[in-house]
Amino acid sequence: MLLKNISSLTMLVLVATVVQGAEKLKYNRDIRPILSENCFACHGPDSAARKADLRLDRREDAIKFGAIVAGSAEKSPIIERIYSSEKGKVMPPPKAHKVLTAIQKEKLKQWVLEGAEYELHWSFIAAKKPTMPQNKNASWAKNPIDRFILAELEKKGLAPAPEADRRTLARRLSLDLNGLPPEPSVVEAFVADTRPDAYEKLVDQFLQSSSWGEHRGRIWLDAARYADSHGIHFDNFREMWSYRDWVINAFNNNMPFGQFTIEQLAGDLLPNATLEQKIASGFNRCNITTNEGGAISEEYLVLYTRDRTETVAQVWLGLTAGCAVCHDHKFDPFSTKDFYSMAAFFNNTTQGAMDGNIKDTPPIIAVPNLNDKARWEEVTKALAIVRTQVENRKKEAKGDYDKWLATASKDTFSNRTPTEGLVVSATLKEGKGDKLEFIINKEKKMVDAPEIAWVKGQTEEKVLQVAKAGSVTIPEIGDFEKDQAFSFGAWVLTPRQAFGPLFARMDDTAKHRGWDLWFENGKVGAHIVSSWPENAIKVMSKATFNQNVWTHVFVTYNGSGKADGVKIYVNGIAQATEALSNNLTGSIRTNVPFRLGSRHSKESLQKATFHDLKIYNRSLKPEEVAALGPVEKLVQILAKEQAKRTPEENNQLFDWWLSNMDAKSKDLTTQLGNLDREEKELKGKGTIAHIMVEKPEPSMAYILNRGDYDKRKDKVAAATPEVLHSMPKDTQRNRLGFSQWLLMPENPLTYRVTVNRFWQEVFGNGLVRSSGDFGITGDTPSHPELLDYLALEFREQGGDIKKFFKLMVTSATYMQSAVSTPEKLEKDPANRLLSRGSRYRMDAEMIRDYALASSGILTKKIGGPSVKPYQPEGVWEAVAMIGSNTRDYKPDTGENLYRKSMYTFWKRSAPPASMEILNAPNRETCTVKRERTNTPLQALVTLNDPQFVEAARFLAERSLKESGGTPDSQLDFITMRILSRKLNPSEKALVLSERSDLLEYYAKNMEEAKKLQTFGAHKSDPKLNLAELSAWTMTINSLMNLDEVLCR
Amino acid sequence: MNITSLIQEQGLAMTRRHFFSKGSNALGFAALTNLLGNKAQGAPSTDSSAMNPFPSKAKNVIYLHMVGGPPQMDLFDYKPKMQDWYDKDLPDSVRKGQRLTTMTSGQARFPIAPSKYKFSQHGPSGMWFTELLPYKAKMAGDLCFMRSMNTEAINHEPAITYMQTGNQQTGKPCLGAWASYGLGSMNQNLPAFVVMVAKPSNTEQVQAISARLWQAGYLPGEYAAVPFRTSGDPILYLNNPPGVPTQIRRRTLDGINQLNQMTLNQVGDPETLTRIQQYEMAFKMQTSVPELTDMARESENTFKLYGEAARKPGTFANTTLLARRLVERGVRFVQIYHNNWDTHGNVAGRLPDQCRDVDQACYGLIQDLKNRGMLDSTLVIWGGEFGRTIYSQGGLSKTNYGRDHHPRCFTMWMAGGGTRPGSVYGETDDFSYNIVKDPVHIRDFHATILQLMGFDHEKFTVRYQGLDQKLTGVEHARVIKELMA
Repeated sequence: MLLKNISSLTMLVLVATVVQGAEKLKYNRDIRPILSENCFACHGPDSAARKADLRLDRREDAIKFGAIVAGSAEKSPIIERIYSSEKGKVMPPPKAHKVLTAIQKEKLKQWVLEGAEYELHWSFIAAKKPTMPQNKNASWAKNPIDRFILAELEKKGLAPAPEADRRTLARRLSLDLNGLPPEPSVVEAFVADTRPDAYEKLVDQFLQSSSWGEHRGRIWLDAARYADSHGIHFDNFREMWSYRDWVINAFNNNMPFGQFTIEQLAGDLLPNATLEQKIASGFNRCNITTNEGGAISEEYLVLYTRDRTETVAQVWLGLTAGCAVCHDHKFDPFSTKDFYSMAAFFNNTTQGAMDGNIKDTPPIIAVPNLNDKARWEEVTKALAIVRTQVENRKKEAKGDYDKWLATASKDTFSNRTPTEGLVVSATLKEGKGDKLEFIINKEKKMVDAPEIAWVKGQTEEKVLQVAKAGSVTIPEIGDFEKDQAFSFGAWVLTPRQAFGPLFARMDDTAKHRGWDLWFENGKVGAHIVSSWPENAIKVMSKATFNQNVWTHVFVTYNGSGKADGVKIYVNGIAQATEALSNNLTGSIRTNVPFRLGSRHSKESLQKATFHDLKIYNRSLKPEEVAALGPVEKLVQILAKEQAKRTPEENNQLFDWWLSNMDAKSKDLTTQLGNLDREEKELKGKGTIAHIMVEKPEPSMAYILNRGDYDKRKDKVAAATPEVLHSMPKDTQRNRLGFSQWLLMPENPLTYRVTVNRFWQEVFGNGLVRSSGDFGITGDTPSHPELLDYLALEFREQGGDIKKFFKLMVTSATYMQSAVSTPEKLEKDPANRLLSRGSRYRMDAEMIRDYALASSGILTKKIGGPSVKPYQPEGVWEAVAMIGSNTRDYKPDTGENLYRKSMYTFWKRSAPPASMEILNAPNRETCTVKRERTNTPLQALVTLNDPQFVEAARFLAERSLKESGGTPDSQLDFITMRILSRKLNPSEKALVLSERSDLLEYYAKNMEEAKKLQTFGAHKSDPKLNLAELSAWTMTINSLMNLDEVLCR
Repeated sequence: MNITSLIQEQGLAMTRRHFFSKGSNALGFAALTNLLGNKAQGAPSTDSSAMNPFPSKAKNVIYLHMVGGPPQMDLFDYKPKMQDWYDKDLPDSVRKGQRLTTMTSGQARFPIAPSKYKFSQHGPSGMWFTELLPYKAKMAGDLCFMRSMNTEAINHEPAITYMQTGNQQTGKPCLGAWASYGLGSMNQNLPAFVVMVAKPSNTEQVQAISARLWQAGYLPGEYAAVPFRTSGDPILYLNNPPGVPTQIRRRTLDGINQLNQMTLNQVGDPETLTRIQQYEMAFKMQTSVPELTDMARESENTFKLYGEAARKPGTFANTTLLARRLVERGVRFVQIYHNNWDTHGNVAGRLPDQCRDVDQACYGLIQDLKNRGMLDSTLVIWGGEFGRTIYSQGGLSKTNYGRDHHPRCFTMWMAGGGTRPGSVYGETDDFSYNIVKDPVHIRDFHATILQLMGFDHEKFTVRYQGLDQKLTGVEHARVIKELMA
């Protein structure tokens, strides 16, 4: 009731002010909010939703239409309609559920009387250098920021808060610049430092720490929507962390903001792009992707482009472009055409729609370990040289080859078939009856084959066709174990592209244990399975072959249990493969027999035709495989008259000669092989980067009706939004040109949006609170001139991020104490005016890192693969599909349990449980501002999560060992680490009394103490007194939950 | 006046503390933000006076989502004529160029697979039931069927997201979040919105689900569901660490609160007061939740009703029983996911298991609610994200077949909460392929549910990114009166 009375009172006062009209109304401040809220939905920029063809967002349209007659309220129908009481006449119409207040109506009337002047939305007007405000209190300001802040405070009759004490400042700075609490030694040194620039020195110290890049980077990764899984459906692992490490390094090297922008948006398009610049382009590869069976590619390609466009618009332009996907933006002058023209910049990548459920969805590049980088570069160069030499040799060798060919005969090829380890061989071309001859371990065996047919082969008169699934079974073949090497293959043909096994020893009724040779719509593959899908290898050729042509397929397996131990050969040539499953640890032996054309059950490949089946009990070398099927073919080619050989056949002969008979080529091949192997080794030790690769054609996109991928309208070329400055003619119409356009001095948004986000990072809120929306529906800046000053300052200083943060944190505004007063709570309740130091709960990651760092258990290591600290069981399993490689969460051991939280493996469909409770986003889409709630579930995390309890235990142990013998000194040691200060006497009394209560309990209940000290990975020192240790553990657990600790 | 009492008096701490709003406040967050004029970035505001003009029937909702898409023609949408169509091709005049998933779009033929199951009629409406659902048939008089549900999505991820949030793209608030946002909680010690993921007994074709399905989107984060887990702590981090009994936790909380009170007095940050209150709330949850999940005191009759499976943690039957206990204690919205309905192949091998998991449990839940006089105020919803095709995916025989995703029609049912018992709405053609009468789009379905809860879906909006966002989106949605009692 009280509040209601206040608001109606305020209303009366306001109406009076408006009517008296002391100050001329301003469109942006007074009028646009009313029109935008009540009128623009039907009479605004959205052409599809527009009623009566009237626009009120543009002066010339409103006047031309006759809705407004400037200077005359009586003649302006808009005023008549808003005051009307007729149901069919009044605006907004009743069904719009919008009602104008008396003040709003008066304002509109007065504005029309004053001439109905419009203004362009503030954020679309380029920033202007503001005049420095004068302050009554001339001594407070330390830098220009303060003059703007103080001017507003003085207008409201408020005085700034006193400067915070040094301990508070050290803690605040450390948290804002490094994301961690300060080491007690750093705090003490600062407290004792009497130099006039002690504070500045401390700022520099934190800016130089490598934690700076981690902390800034961690925040940037929300905007970049970085995560370690693909996001949709299987939500499998994505090896993406090289991009994360690039971000950390960029901040630590203080990369200028312009370069930071260009390399992330277009690093791949820079001339002679370096490896790092390509890694940076991974910004646009952080979007969520799918591999759901049944998904339509075009639909997802459209979604990916949309996500990239919305992300860039939000991060650099502060625009919520998403609305314009379906319709012209209702409020911002941002049309559907603008959206899709901008989307065209991000629509030109070679990335496919399906992520393949693999960790390295193309386009990718290999990224060597830091230590291997020099050698990597050498190998890459050498490889290029040897490859050229190989090509050159091909050209030179023609003469030698012709000489050889003249003398070559069938015998040249004879006896090249490897026989070592040949355990099964069957020609399968005898061509009669229902018995087949197999040579098994050098012994001939006749096998019953009741349902077979004999059909004509490629040159053979008759070869075997399996007419009915499961008719040819041989129990003694192919009983291998997973750590045994073996190889298998044959000449095969099937009538059409299809899925199915060529031959197998596999029990598909018992989790598919065993192995097979498999066709999948023209791709050749093999399964080696203990239990499908969780314990198995599946490898497929990347290329597709025509199954309707005789093909020699062969698979070798080296017994390593790894997918890269499986090689697939087609016509003697090793194939690039994809590992679709790679987790084999169990046995693959099964009692079911070997079968031709099917697995154990009825599942079969219809009318599969075979000859020359061979199985070895070892892994054949590439040249041995080449000597199997293909050699037979060569003999046939050689048997033909020269004139009748096709060019392809001639090439086959030549290639064989080069790799088997020509010493020079053989030597080069060996070199190439060695270099290749080394490159692979280096690759194996390193990681990869997901990068952008531009298609050669110009960037284009389609305008889509309501955003539906299958409702294409006009095709549009890449262009920037019309309301903003135009792209210079000589700029390329691609991502590079676009990123340069973002950074042009004419751009009114990029720098404002960026400095506002930086402001938010240290003050908790931006000067524009809606840091992701600088459009018409976003908030207006609390200090517009300050925002402009900061944007221009940042740009003019070359986008120097460290310098900019230094400017902010050395302001008197920043250094204020957070202590509030009743007056300030009344006049500046949300601290928008910064009448006191800002104070807010830390982000999820900081809260965990704080506990780890203050106890001293934090692992200080930068970058590398993401880690898996403690997480309650079942969080991943509850949502993941069976077969997803992010279904089973296995916590790491050792130092990986205590890495900074930014390195925690981020699975998008189930983000790190404790962090999600503390408002960490799911990283599916761009987030530029996190929510900050205050809930009981959060209390449960910091009270009970083993991570926090273990940190408390660790600190308890240290306090007993490192701080001298009294509870008092132990407590000082603890609070210096947790709070950067000693407690005052009344606080101390409370805490020590808690500790002694706890001690009393644990001394009597040693079993409980033992339980408390033995869970988790860290083992407490057995020499310490268990009760004392437990009493301190729980006391520290309390202290770590203090509001003072959780807030920065 | 000192600063702490000022904070307390002004109730400023209320601005952020809406996770468990007061029982008397039926509007939850909505009213609070309005009163306090909270216009923080991203924080929505809403026109509270307009949003619930209807008397609400459904005070609570239990939504049973069958992940994967149940085959309507094998369960409820009886199509006897299809027996004559066995292995014949689906006529183009029926398919009408419908887009298919890429799992069957390459299939050479679309041979019709008539349901292999026997059907019989039950209840006042003469609704048809498959032989696999004898318990459902027994309570035909309680159920309100929609045989004409339809969607545009054809793959799981977008389809489930659509069903739960009214939009195929992620990021929008789900139905449960809207409900808890609008209705608030009736129990200070429990969240308003709870989600449970049941374990199906057959796991051949389990589909992905994601925490995004129960997130709050642009609503404040506290309206997201709190997951109740089937193993470990029922709520994450609920239990004290080993070696920390309740009295020790109490002692440490007292310590925390004393020091926080000093901070509050000294610094004057309203958030500190909120934190003190939230720590107390956390402590209360530590006792109320174990009492809630402890089924030891349920009677033998209860287990007879729900089936023996209800004793086993994590089963669908167990979660439905828990759902009743949650609703009994004032939880507004309980969402249960039951997986493995994605029968691309082997319908005969899986569907009986799926039905066995849910049949008696649903019966038990509804009879239990009825016996306790709670059914009138509790809306129970059952259904998947889309239907399945009449034509077979993969091999077809008289006894077994597979079915691909089908968006154009599927069957769902509701019970209680003001729905019309014993009724059937909507009709499909002989192929269960197209709707011939009374379609119910997802938007219509959402609009109807909101109305059952007392909300006008047109007016129940929040302001976000400058738009009045609503569950039913921008396209026309129809409240279907015929579904209401």
